[in-house]
Amino acid sequence: MSRRPVHVKINGVEREGYVEPRKTLVDFIREDLELTGTHVGCEHGVCGACTVLLDGEAVRSCLMFAVQAEGCEIRTIEGMAGPDGQLHPLQEAFRDNHSFQCGFCTPGFMMTAAALLEEGPLSEEDLRHELSGNLCRCTGYQSIVAGVMDAFGRSTPAAGQAADAATEAAR
Amino acid sequence: MRFVGESVTRVEDRRILTGRGRYIDDVKLPGMLHAAFLRSPFAHARITELEIGEAQKLPGVVAVLTGADIEAATVPIQVMAQFPDFKSPAYLAMATDRVRFVGDLVAIVVAESRYVAEDALELINVEYDPMRPIVSFDDAQDSTAPAIFDDIADNVLYRSTSTHGDVDAAFAAADTVIEETFTQSRQANVPMETRGAVADFDPGTGDLTYYAATQSPQGCRFQLATYLDHPIDRVRVLSGDVGGAFGLKGPVHREDISLAAASRIIGRPIKWIEDRNEHLQASGHAREEQMQVEAAVTSDGRLLGLRARLLIDQGAFPCLPYAAVLFPNMIRDLLPGPYRFGAMQFEGLVLATNKCWVPPYRGPWEIETWVRERLMDVVARRLGMDPAELRRKNMFDGAEEDRSISGQHLAGITSRESLERALGRIDYGSLRSEQEAARAEGRLLGVGIATFLEAAPGPKENRMFPEDAKVRLESNGHLLVMTPQGPHGQGHETTLAQIAADAMGLPLDHVRVVHGDTRQTPMNLIGTGGSRASTWASGSVMVTTRKVREKALGIASAMLEIDAGDLDIIDGMVVPAGAPAKAMPLAAIAMTAYLAPESLPPGTDNHLEAQETFTGDGIGGSGWSGGTHLCVVEIDQDTGRVRILRYIVVEDCGQIINPAIVEGQIRGGVAQGIAGVLYEKAAYDEEGQFMAGTFMDYLLPTATEIPHIEIDHIESVPVEGLDIRGVGEGGAIVAPAALTNAIEDALLPFGVTVNEQYLPPGRILELTGAIPA
Amino acid sequence: MKPSAFEYHLAVSTDEAVGLLAEHDGDAKVIAGGQSLVPLLALRLARVDHLVDINKVPDLQGITANGGLRIGAMTRHREAERSALVRRHAPLLADALTYIGHAAIRNRGTLGGSLAHADPAAELPATLLALDGQVEVRNSRGTRTVAAADLFTGFLTTSLEPDELLTAISLPAWRAGSGWSVQEFARRSGDFAISGAMTVLSTGADGRIDDARIALIGVAPTAVRASAAEQALIGGAPSEELWASVAEAAVADIEPPSDLHGSSAYRKKLTSTLVRRSLAESASRIGAAA
Repeated sequence: MSRRPVHVKINGVEREGYVEPRKTLVDFIREDLELTGTHVGCEHGVCGACTVLLDGEAVRSCLMFAVQAEGCEIRTIEGMAGPDGQLHPLQEAFRDNHSFQCGFCTPGFMMTAAALLEEGPLSEEDLRHELSGNLCRCTGYQSIVAGVMDAFGRSTPAAGQAADAATEAAR
Repeated sequence: MRFVGESVTRVEDRRILTGRGRYIDDVKLPGMLHAAFLRSPFAHARITELEIGEAQKLPGVVAVLTGADIEAATVPIQVMAQFPDFKSPAYLAMATDRVRFVGDLVAIVVAESRYVAEDALELINVEYDPMRPIVSFDDAQDSTAPAIFDDIADNVLYRSTSTHGDVDAAFAAADTVIEETFTQSRQANVPMETRGAVADFDPGTGDLTYYAATQSPQGCRFQLATYLDHPIDRVRVLSGDVGGAFGLKGPVHREDISLAAASRIIGRPIKWIEDRNEHLQASGHAREEQMQVEAAVTSDGRLLGLRARLLIDQGAFPCLPYAAVLFPNMIRDLLPGPYRFGAMQFEGLVLATNKCWVPPYRGPWEIETWVRERLMDVVARRLGMDPAELRRKNMFDGAEEDRSISGQHLAGITSRESLERALGRIDYGSLRSEQEAARAEGRLLGVGIATFLEAAPGPKENRMFPEDAKVRLESNGHLLVMTPQGPHGQGHETTLAQIAADAMGLPLDHVRVVHGDTRQTPMNLIGTGGSRASTWASGSVMVTTRKVREKALGIASAMLEIDAGDLDIIDGMVVPAGAPAKAMPLAAIAMTAYLAPESLPPGTDNHLEAQETFTGDGIGGSGWSGGTHLCVVEIDQDTGRVRILRYIVVEDCGQIINPAIVEGQIRGGVAQGIAGVLYEKAAYDEEGQFMAGTFMDYLLPTATEIPHIEIDHIESVPVEGLDIRGVGEGGAIVAPAALTNAIEDALLPFGVTVNEQYLPPGRILELTGAIPA
Repeated sequence: MKPSAFEYHLAVSTDEAVGLLAEHDGDAKVIAGGQSLVPLLALRLARVDHLVDINKVPDLQGITANGGLRIGAMTRHREAERSALVRRHAPLLADALTYIGHAAIRNRGTLGGSLAHADPAAELPATLLALDGQVEVRNSRGTRTVAAADLFTGFLTTSLEPDELLTAISLPAWRAGSGWSVQEFARRSGDFAISGAMTVLSTGADGRIDDARIALIGVAPTAVRASAAEQALIGGAPSEELWASVAEAAVADIEPPSDLHGSSAYRKKLTSTLVRRSLAESASRIGAAA
């Protein structure tokens, strides 16, 4: 089966690859673009470990083919911190609240939470509901919920955009 | 001590938060190939035909290896052969003539990509001749059923029996004998990262480098060398970040041996990353156990005697190296828990079935807590006593002479304090009144209490397996700490650095903890597991760092011409008592030792390196972690939904190194315990067909299912000695008891006894009689 | 868990999409949001030779009010969930959408895709049935409409021909003042429901029920309407007793499947509870603004 070119802008950088149509977006990001921060947890859309922002919205990158991302903007965990290494408020909040142990699910939670931050604060109950599409086996979730709640307090969309702009400028 | 006791930011965090962790699937080597395993669709069958020609011809396929190929390259596995009375079958890494569970290995395809490897799996033709599957406890004890292993006559692999005290007299004296059979369902560890590895055999050097996701790099190296019959000096295991394990990645799996053998045969690096379907079906299961108990009690609630018969379904193959045969006697020892029983008789069987094998899962002896704490509630109810009162009445205080009927020395346990604190925290009396009011309104409110003890490290006489650390003071005055631990989320790079920084007198960021490279770390087969690290790894780092500190001070003493006893190390500076102006950076001392040893007086030990063994000497305190969990639930009798309204933990794990990490361990364990009751079942049908191969079938709880968990620490610290106890498993072993006790309590109006641990909503409605069972 | 190989065709118009389906008659499958299809492909429970991607087809997008509602097949769940038009003209649909998976699924999943997938445990087939909606279907030879009642023919099966593309969903005008309710029960947040009930109730000037819809999910090979139970509501005055008796009637003739998450008996009991709760909630919303 013939390969096809794929062009994406990922974490502010234009990248291209040449893939079999059946290659999932997450495999493309990890193998072809060598951004291994996004993890593969179940490959059937349940665990959320592979969550990335596609044109600003959280999606499961295991439930898309790379060819379908042609022309899209993607943000992954590698694109969260500023170019100077300054952590995003969400990263700081995850660190300060011990929001992860093994860290395998963290990229997915982080990107899910990044999309939530854009929409503004939630009650703890609503937040738990919004996070229920991501599985964590280590924490019992309490510290993740605390981390995102904390991030709501720290972060404004403007801060996120500033970080984006800084990333962009650095590249 | 400056860092121990603080929730310092984890050293691991930055790389994980920025997507720069290095998990096994992130390893990419030049020329690396990808593997996929062909697995048996039958629980028990003979392989009558195996045709790989079409698969071999597929473009992109490099090799298709079958059981015969792997057999020729490996040594048959036989575990725990030294364990008395264990009938340990010899088995192969890959099936040759017979498959023994759904998911058993039949062939390995090595190809340019995992996609192509999976294409090739579909081109392999296997003919099977199905045999009678051994699926249930009854099947496995049926001596007329086919034996799963040719070298063992039946499917009972191990039987342990023992009697403690005069059991017959105890039962003769009883006012009441209460009999119950308690059954647990299969669950599974299910870390978010599946199993995986990259095997890299270099035909030029003969070195086998095995990139593993393991809890025990040295254990992995030892087993690979053994079963590949490869010189161990030419086996190196490298392990990076591990995405969770909970016991699963302590063993060495048949896939590991097959993969390493395939790399040696082909002479190229091969990656295998298990997919979730394989993982759920074939990586490892746990907890499928049953215990039949009889309790002899007096009408005022004294526990005169206990008879217990335990069955463990260990699946087809004994796990390498932690076979289930390890567990019956642990369960026996822990079964009486913190309570006074007059006598006990125990029988424990390990049964082979045609199911996935059973590696350790977070507190693999958990059934002792569940059954005992369930039994306490059942006894209390039959006697018309409050369950808290029955516990109070029979609980040891932790006096010096306290010994359980199974012989466990319980001096210093704080079970009673944990119970009272938990009851106080929830205002137990008012809660019972509230419950009564709720019942009057037809609401099903329930309260569950459960108390546990965790032998981490256990009482003096039971402490085993000393551990080494290696510590080196580098020329810049920073400390390199090398541990055989295989952390997978516990944050050992942080906690062991906290220990070392305090022991040496360094800033935390002057300590680097190294793990996961068997060429650097000391030998130790266990690695991380069994809640050992807090005590054993901490102890090893402490004693070894002290040794290096002594050496550094010896050199400083020579350089400063001040007696070593008058020197201290504070914040990386060697500071003479009373003469702070003469303080010298540790780096200057290290630099001298490395670059100008000849400048030191003859006889000065200039090697700023040590490897010491921590034997357990100096451990203070009871050795028992433990505590009480208390759970309040409400059940919707129309849907069977169990809602956890409150969950309280009172825990004593001695001195706490890092509170945030300890609480994370507790909450994660509780979540797994809750999951085992309400959500997770690694289900098989009567034919041994596996039913829960996706995350739509095997339900891990999410943020909406796990409640807020309140934690209170007792933190009993002894007057002297190291008293850091393990905390990894307690949450998981006691939560099922607290929750099922609460559920039975909520269902009291229906007069039911909860004998199963797994209680999905449909089962709740069967128990209430709303629907037929 | 990797899909087997296929040829990928990116259609940029409906004409091109139906042309591709015609060209690869029977060997092509449409991918919309892919949230159900991709797992099936990954597990190799399904395979396709040709995948026709309709994500970039502009005329399949969008929500318009025309008395009722017309929703393009490629409209994503998330867009519909946030749409004021949907909230106003089809509040039952607006509520039903929030039960679909999780946000990350709804950001990709589409209304047309869900209906074409025809999962009996999914929300949208039942919603379409409850609202007496219909779908617009095209192939290279023309266009037809299929009523909800004729669309779902079996487990994951519709009456669409292999060369047909579901292009839009039409919902009739919402009767002002109707009450509605979606009640589902899943073991975990975001899962497919073990079962569920959707109801719509309307009352006449006399306060008695003159229109009732009950759609059930997860109890049969397709989503189903509980017609007899609906009839039993007509002319009745809202009351707890009525909901309870109708809830019993609604499950009298169903034979739900058993699986790991619940036995047939459990589903039956659960469904009855959900119908009762749904009717009560619908009744409480009668006259309320959507």
